[in-house]
Amino acid sequence: MDEFLIGVLSNIGLMSLLALSAWLLLVVGEISFGQQAFFALGAYAAGIATALYGWPLPLGLFAGVVVGALAGFAVAIPTMRLTGLAFAIATLAFAELMRLLLQLWVFQREVDGERLGPNAVEGFRGVRWVYDHDLSALGYLGVIWGIVVVVLAALFLCERSRIGLACRAVGADAELAEAQGLPAARLKILVATVAGGLAALGGGLYVHLATYVEPQHFSIMLGVHALAYGLIGGLGTALGPILGVVLDIGLLEALQEIARYRMIVFGGAVAVLLILRPRGLLDEALVRRLTRGKP
Amino acid sequence: MLRVGDVVTAYGQLEALKGVSVAAESGKITCLLGPNGAGKTTLMMTVTGLLKPKRGSIAFEGQELVGLSPSEIVARGVALVPENRLVFPDMSVRENLEAGAYLRRKPAEIAADLDRMFERFPRLKERAGQSAGTLSGGEQQMLAVARALMSRPRLLLMDEPSLGLAPLIVEEIFRIVAELNRDGTSIFLVEQNAHMALKVAHHFYLIEQGRVTFSGSPGQLAEDEVIQRAYLGSKRG
Amino acid sequence: MLDLIQNTIDGVMIGGAYALLALGFTLTFGVMRRLNLAFGAIVLCGLYAGAAAHQALGWGLLGSIAATLAVAVAAGLYVERLCFRALAESASIAAMVSSFAIWMQLEEIAALLMPRRTYAYPALSEARPWEWAGLSLRPDQLAMAAVALGAMAALGWTLRRTRFGLAARAVATAPLAARLAGIEPARIGSAMFLLACGLGGLAGALIAAVDSQVTIKFGMWAMLKGLVAMTLGGIGSIPGAVIGGLALGVIESNAQWYLGAEWRDIVAYGLLFAVLYWRRGRERPWTNS
Ligand SMILES: Nc1ncnc2c1ncn2[C@@H]1O[C@H](COP(=O)(O)OP(=O)(O)OP(=O)(O)O)[C@@H](O)[C@H]1O
Ligand SMILES: [Mg+2]
Repeated sequence: MDEFLIGVLSNIGLMSLLALSAWLLLVVGEISFGQQAFFALGAYAAGIATALYGWPLPLGLFAGVVVGALAGFAVAIPTMRLTGLAFAIATLAFAELMRLLLQLWVFQREVDGERLGPNAVEGFRGVRWVYDHDLSALGYLGVIWGIVVVVLAALFLCERSRIGLACRAVGADAELAEAQGLPAARLKILVATVAGGLAALGGGLYVHLATYVEPQHFSIMLGVHALAYGLIGGLGTALGPILGVVLDIGLLEALQEIARYRMIVFGGAVAVLLILRPRGLLDEALVRRLTRGKP
Repeated sequence: MLRVGDVVTAYGQLEALKGVSVAAESGKITCLLGPNGAGKTTLMMTVTGLLKPKRGSIAFEGQELVGLSPSEIVARGVALVPENRLVFPDMSVRENLEAGAYLRRKPAEIAADLDRMFERFPRLKERAGQSAGTLSGGEQQMLAVARALMSRPRLLLMDEPSLGLAPLIVEEIFRIVAELNRDGTSIFLVEQNAHMALKVAHHFYLIEQGRVTFSGSPGQLAEDEVIQRAYLGSKRG
Repeated sequence: MLDLIQNTIDGVMIGGAYALLALGFTLTFGVMRRLNLAFGAIVLCGLYAGAAAHQALGWGLLGSIAATLAVAVAAGLYVERLCFRALAESASIAAMVSSFAIWMQLEEIAALLMPRRTYAYPALSEARPWEWAGLSLRPDQLAMAAVALGAMAALGWTLRRTRFGLAARAVATAPLAARLAGIEPARIGSAMFLLACGLGGLAGALIAAVDSQVTIKFGMWAMLKGLVAMTLGGIGSIPGAVIGGLALGVIESNAQWYLGAEWRDIVAYGLLFAVLYWRRGRERPWTNS
């Protein structure tokens, strides 16, 4: 496979995890402008674990997920009562805070005669585990997509479980769901925790692919993109956000000739798409029609 | 004056009106009685253009209303006093009334009507500058009626004006209904309070589960039975 | 003490412009219950048009401001038609995401047409600062605050005293009852949307004229400032937007002075988060004033 294609596919896999994270919250009816913060936390935590303390990659990724999930949980507690725009802006405020603090944060250690670690606006360089362990680009692509597939499988199982149904009910009408005895607030906290972990997983994979990150990578632009992917691809299934990522990154990276006009074309196309399908390509109605008859 | 013919209105799959035909005569008070969920509000919303019927016709003074927007229907002289009053809580009583006259363009006439409303509803006059959200339930109901009248309707639709009000206030509301009618406004009244409604109505309908089950004048049916059916529906099932 | 006063004066000046940006969000949110993420990009388009008129045609301050307002309203019309009117009432998330896509689109168009990093915008005033008892006051900032105040007063008058304002408030507080009175929420919403874009354009023009320049980053900056200011004062409240704008200005200038530039936004966002938590994010209705 050529290098360019591997790069694009790797990116799609990483962004899919972030998009899934935003999508999960959309399913329970909340808009988050701030999932990029957990992506950043995952990147920093996993990078510190492997590059500064010599942990193996799987353990590093796991550390990132734990940090992301804990942060997701911690943010969900105070914001759980907020709804609609207030919740969205609270997540935005948190993410911007995170980014600005990372711009100040210096945490460096001597590793093999080299100072490594987060260095304020300079970012965090030298996360080289993948290269030091001779993992090829193709191999790492396999790791990324292996993880994406596992995550998707888990989400599909959840979708059919009681928790999945409860989440859909809360997303459709939180008050009604609450009246029917569903613990809407607790479900939302749970989902926010999982979403934090998922985004962090994406971030951990990202930093090991790129070998460095800078705080400015994690601006609101990244978060709103992640949110948009779910709505473009469709809210009806976990494949929706992935379709959204594929359409944006895949199609338009592939068509390099129009890259300069990319957002002019893509932005307009998205607007028209949302007129025709306000809940995305793979929306709930379509998914229900496609899966009808199956258990 | 108003002729509703075989109207079907649905919320998604659920048909709330299953072919309803009713009529309101000019200068009269017509009542529609029925239990909760019978489709009374749905009919009011359909007549005023807030809901689109799946089929059927609604003629007002010979002109078809189906397909017109709510604002066009108000402009033609049909106004609704909505269920639960729905005043503009953050606006003053006076502003609520001015909003009712939104489609009218002559400030002098509007001002004159405003004075007339304050004459008819002295309690609103005392509270003209107060925000509507702070009024009592009865006062809010008066305000909702006055607001609808500000559009100078020839036909006034009222959706359960007695809902949740104390008996004394209910009597006052019905006194106003009779008065308005005497002054020339035709009225189509939706109620569950059969006892009061039958006192003022010239003609009444019973609606149950989206279908009209009786049409006649008060006295044609024993009040007990009307009350029974207006509250609980027939004992069909 | 002197520093505090000076910072507060500076903060109130810029806060007036923030308040206009916040009002831009509040007006559309109040009537349409929707968030226009393209707001900053719309303002940016206006500013680029003003800068282009200045550079290519030699237009002065008033001409550039007029061009800014005209193009901001035109871009607003485009966004309103494509992202808001064309979508069903229930599709508020779709409208928001759609306006985000158009934000990207407008910004790219602007960057393609005018690729430099910065463009000159006619200055508001080149007069030297006034000094008094150790305090200084920039005339251009004072002019900015005065115009912003005037615009807010005009807006308040429009909402309280005109038929359009009455209808807008009716739609914002009880849309169903408004329709029964013959008011058409969609039309009022569109008009409000354009009015908001005009206000945003004015705010942008004032800020650009004080800085004498505009950069491509302005769109994002204006959007964040507007959102933060609106939320600080209470989402959806008109007086709240004004208070939030002024508060944000004062907080920023003091934080910058006492803690350093890098802490300025941290303090603002931290406070925003705290305010949301404290108020439980209650959305306040449009109030009368
Ligand atoms: N927005 C809606 N969506 C779905 N179903 C609805 C909606 N509004 C009403 N219905 C259903 O339509 C039927 C008729 O309702 P409607 O409100 O017209 O009854 P009603 O006669 O006014 O009752 P009430 O006396 O309680 O006001 C009911 O079964 C109700 O559940
Ligand atoms: Mg009803």
